Amino acid sequence: MIDARDRKRIGLTGLRRRLGKVQLPMALGMTLVWMLLFDGFQLRRESLGLLVLGFLVSVVIMVLFPLPPITPGPRFHPVHLVRLIVHVLTEMAVASFQVTVLTFRPGRVRSSVVAVRMRTDSDLTMVATAIAASIIPGTLIAEINRPERILYVHMLGADSDRTIEKGRRDVWTLEERFVMALGTHEDIAALRAGGPEELERKGGA
Amino acid sequence: MSEQLIAVLDWAALLCILAGAMLSLVAGVGLIRFPDLLSRMHTAAKPQILGLLLVLVGIGLRLVPVETNVFSVGTLVLVGLFQMVTIPVAGHITARVGYRTGRIDEESLARDELAERLEARPADEER
Repeated sequence: MIDARDRKRIGLTGLRRRLGKVQLPMALGMTLVWMLLFDGFQLRRESLGLLVLGFLVSVVIMVLFPLPPITPGPRFHPVHLVRLIVHVLTEMAVASFQVTVLTFRPGRVRSSVVAVRMRTDSDLTMVATAIAASIIPGTLIAEINRPERILYVHMLGADSDRTIEKGRRDVWTLEERFVMALGTHEDIAALRAGGPEELERKGGA
Repeated sequence: MSEQLIAVLDWAALLCILAGAMLSLVAGVGLIRFPDLLSRMHTAAKPQILGLLLVLVGIGLRLVPVETNVFSVGTLVLVGLFQMVTIPVAGHITARVGYRTGRIDEESLARDELAERLEARPADEER
């Protein structure tokens, strides 16, 4: 039997362990979102209170719903980050145009589901690549195989070997941009080691 | 701000909103024209996201000269951000359910490496 005092102590250590899971950068990000939601940057009398309240709310959320930390955390390379954003935006514009053309072309559109093997083993770059590929028109993530780091990408209008290869290369380019912008040194080394050509020779992808 | 600059911003905002609306129209047409689930997911998610971003940029351009405080654009940024983060999840889940329940139209797929993979491990799929 555990008496009341013991139970209280166990509860306290549990709380302390959970407080340890609060990640400061994440809490700051959530506070930022909170401030944007409530127009907190429009300086008035309540602004400071809003800031404090937002921070408290984000800490409470992280205590109630703890998540594993993102390891290793992202490293920011400013120049590559800008290149990444420009790349994604231009791809979006170009691909939107292509999808528009496909939409109005007569006849049936045929597509493919293509397996693309990632060259780096990192949760962060994999998720980022998947989201970016989904946002860019013409590609959609159908399935993810995390242990073997394969993205299954649905490519609109890819009906020949040539277009399929082109789509696969596009996803690889996207991954490369993300690794250069956010990845660690190990990620970048892994990227250099296993280029697309080598993987194809091995029968990967 | 000078009158001229405001006029230029107005026109830029106009073009952005118009282009965004056109892209959303294309998305609607694609939804009707494409043959199967997966291609339809494309149009539901894609031209729409660029369309939405363009509309948001347009509204932002219109807002900045009127309101002196630039941070009022914050809400627009949030709308765009949450759309970009949530749309891929919806697409992924739809595709996943389509595969697991066998609703994928094989006629319209030129190559399907995921189906090959799933067939190779039927025992795994039973679970």
